[in-house]
Amino acid sequence: MLTYVVRRLLYSIVVLFAASFIIFFFVSVSNDPLSFLRMQPTASEITIENISERKHLDEPIPVRYLYWVQDMFTNQFGTTTIGDRPILPDLTRVMGHTLQLVIAAELIAILLAIGIGVYSALRQYSAFDYSATTFSFVGLATPVFWLALMLQVLFVNIYLWFDIRIFYTANLSGIDPGTGLSFLLDRAQHLGLPVITLAIASIATYSRFMRASMLEVVNSDYVRTARAKGLHERKVTMRHAFRNALIPLVTIIALNLGALLSGAVVTETVFALDGMGFYYYNQLLLGDPYPVMAWLMVVATLVVVFNLVADIAYGILDPRVRYD
Amino acid sequence: MPEPVLSIRDLTVEFKTEDGVVRAVTDVTYDLFPGETLGIVGESGSGKSVSVMTMLGLVPMPPGKLVGGEALYKGRDLLKIPKKELRNIRGGEVAMIFQDPMTSLNPVFKIGDQISEALQTHRDGLSDGDARKKTIELLELVGVPYAERRYDQYPHEFSGGMRQRAMIAMAIANDPTVLIADEPTTALDVTIQAQIIEVMRAAQDETNAATILITHDLGLVAELADRVVVMYAGRVVELGDVHTIFNSPRHPYTVGLMNSLARVDLDREWLEPIPGQPPSMISPPPGCAFHPRCAFSRGRERCRTEIPPLRGFGDGLAHLSACHFAEELEAQHVTAALALEPS
Repeated sequence: MLTYVVRRLLYSIVVLFAASFIIFFFVSVSNDPLSFLRMQPTASEITIENISERKHLDEPIPVRYLYWVQDMFTNQFGTTTIGDRPILPDLTRVMGHTLQLVIAAELIAILLAIGIGVYSALRQYSAFDYSATTFSFVGLATPVFWLALMLQVLFVNIYLWFDIRIFYTANLSGIDPGTGLSFLLDRAQHLGLPVITLAIASIATYSRFMRASMLEVVNSDYVRTARAKGLHERKVTMRHAFRNALIPLVTIIALNLGALLSGAVVTETVFALDGMGFYYYNQLLLGDPYPVMAWLMVVATLVVVFNLVADIAYGILDPRVRYD
Repeated sequence: MPEPVLSIRDLTVEFKTEDGVVRAVTDVTYDLFPGETLGIVGESGSGKSVSVMTMLGLVPMPPGKLVGGEALYKGRDLLKIPKKELRNIRGGEVAMIFQDPMTSLNPVFKIGDQISEALQTHRDGLSDGDARKKTIELLELVGVPYAERRYDQYPHEFSGGMRQRAMIAMAIANDPTVLIADEPTTALDVTIQAQIIEVMRAAQDETNAATILITHDLGLVAELADRVVVMYAGRVVELGDVHTIFNSPRHPYTVGLMNSLARVDLDREWLEPIPGQPPSMISPPPGCAFHPRCAFSRGRERCRTEIPPLRGFGDGLAHLSACHFAEELEAQHVTAALALEPS
């Protein structure tokens, strides 16, 4: 297993190197980094010239690529074209917020979805199963932005009618959240609605997977064998069926996490939440390529890492999968 | 005659399917005596396994439905006793070997642990160490080499034959009084089948369990069984000791089975298949379910209208057949056999 992980990490370096070149090349040719400045009447020709020189924009793309790679390792991914802000601190900040959002939402979603999925499968075609199925289809069919807006409307109205303020706007970096319990309470109030929004979509997906794989497993021969041994039904389900049913779900969750950490773009945008997705969206609007490229690089790394996590988790759960 | 250890009485089970209600077994009755091996033969879908599966509570209900009957084990009706008591019997006094060893073992647990689990379920307070020791003994008994090492392997590291050995070890772990083998060799290739038959024999000798052998392999029946139950379309059509069934069958279906069997004791040019297909279990033919395929019915009305009861011949209830014209069949079969005699 260890050899496998090391080997995969080495492959990952190659993959990320290739990714970095593709990212840099395509982003560079897609937009003139100075177009935004050129449209500003206040930006003088001299200023633009200076920036161009400082960022080596007059050089050919391969040379700029090398400067960029150098910045990536030694200089916090370089600075923004406009404002000359270092990029890495901003990325770290939004990453932190997204992590809080995604971890909270996914934890809730995974626990609920496993419960719902297993119970649905064990009580197939019961009222509970039908309700859960309906909820899942509605959840999957509901556009995230709409759900987010409706939640906002709901809680704003609760505030207006009953003067109860449960959730706050998602201005995460405004004031110091404190530590310990006060930190948790502050995050719960700020992140509550985005977490609910994200969790609903995840619950809908995961519970369907859990139900399907559990159904497949409870009708399998080895579960019948377990029952024929005289095991208690609870042990049959939890030991023999559940462990097997979990395998496909773990893969899906690990892959999904990689995607979610790149920011739930829509959710974060609707809630103006200062996370990965919102950051990316804003940088695209500004048309500054350097933050966009830095963001893409971080996301590429995350995807590679979570693919590896998925494979390792798979190997731990399923003895048939061995990587040596 | 000794007391039977297991008596199935008038067992009727239905399944609800999308196309209608399937009556999987109808009025199935047979006894299992201590120490004997009872073969249950019939083609796929004839209800061979359903009677024992129902008895052990392994048929999911719904879609299955118990319509009536009893399954008496040591005088207690297994169909009526509380779930907890049935669990204690299942895997303990009555154990099963399943058809497909490839899918019948849990892929994510070690082989040894799966057998130990069977031991520990039925023996309170058996320590992990003792269970391991006993499991290794069992694995050695069924002929798994390097049992100590193979205890810690997973099912995918075992071959089909080795897995079936492990299944047998699991089944005999608690010294069962009744051992049920549901097509134990069907999923294995022929060379392995012979080995597994030997293991089955060893297992029987070790536990002295009465065995029900469910199979469509008449060769296996001839090899292992003392008495035979022949099933067709969910009913018992013939029951008798193995020599009677093979030498003087009294039901046209059994005769058909024998004629379609390659035998070294008869020099035959051709094997004769039974014409037609097994009947639909949703709407079985009226009267005798076998009559559309029967070579002896010759369009007689009684076969189409009246369901033949299972009735005895000569020496009491040792040989039973469900054919209206079973007596006639004897003469028929003898001439047929004579015609096949080498000239």
